[in-house]
Amino acid sequence: MSAHEHAGALPPEPEKATLEGRNKILGFWLFLGAETVLFGTLFSAYLALKRSVLDGPRPEELFQLPMTFIMTVVLLVSSLTSVFAVQALHRHKKGSMLGWMAVTIALGLVFLGLEIYEFNEYVHEGHRFTTSAFSSSFYSLVGFHGGHVLFGVLWIGLLILQILKKGLTVVTAPKVYVSAIYWHFIDVVWVFIFTVVYLMGKV
Amino acid sequence: MTDNHSASHEAGTQRHRLEGPQKHIIVFVLSMVLTIIAFAAVASGDLNKMFVIFLLLGMAIVQVFAQLAFWMHMKDRGHLFPIIGIVGGAFVVVMLVALALLWTWW
Repeated sequence: MSAHEHAGALPPEPEKATLEGRNKILGFWLFLGAETVLFGTLFSAYLALKRSVLDGPRPEELFQLPMTFIMTVVLLVSSLTSVFAVQALHRHKKGSMLGWMAVTIALGLVFLGLEIYEFNEYVHEGHRFTTSAFSSSFYSLVGFHGGHVLFGVLWIGLLILQILKKGLTVVTAPKVYVSAIYWHFIDVVWVFIFTVVYLMGKV
Repeated sequence: MTDNHSASHEAGTQRHRLEGPQKHIIVFVLSMVLTIIAFAAVASGDLNKMFVIFLLLGMAIVQVFAQLAFWMHMKDRGHLFPIIGIVGGAFVVVMLVALALLWTWW
């Protein structure tokens, strides 16, 4: 298929059209395998330490389910909008793709705002990073996830700027695809955070 | 890995069979339903504790499998290495969590 070489004519799945693109996706998956282990260590530390509260608040006194539910829905919707961005990528619709990426970023920022508000509330309730082993492991785990959301927002934001400048090509397409995979991974980690940390903390 | 598009190339045309949004919207609705069940089970507060914990883990794992398979395209062809990466990572995570729980709660 020599159609790939014609300038302007993008192949059906532009993110997998070049060896470099395919390697980028493969390498990113191996990175996500390592990220899984990294979050696993934070989860295991949290589970081991969550009963060590000293004089600080206990999980069931601290967590507010409505807030967690809203954050969960925001992140879940943002994961769906990043699916739509990749579908627009496969249809070579640059404008619609950039639009869905922008919506994803906006929802990511809403999530971060809610998390900052939540942590601020906790600090006012005497739940600081150094209060207890529970608070340290809680902020490490949830804060590390929040850091990933922040990184994703910055990354996708820079990608939007790059695509505005360079257009949608076989070079930029794998970057969009990989950033969408990353964003889904953040949502997958959050599924376990709201289950293991927030919901099991209230059981 | 390289023959990802062989199906479309056999047709000898640039027309590629594009997947529609339906499957992804179904995964979204499924995720929402599982999430609501999980929150409702905890909010109701009068269920057996061990039952709720296993229910929560079950809801989370089903939801994550659906998202990995469809949203992250792991069900598509040419995803052997992604599966090895994630399953290998998950294997280490299960050992880490089991070890931490045994160590502290035994």
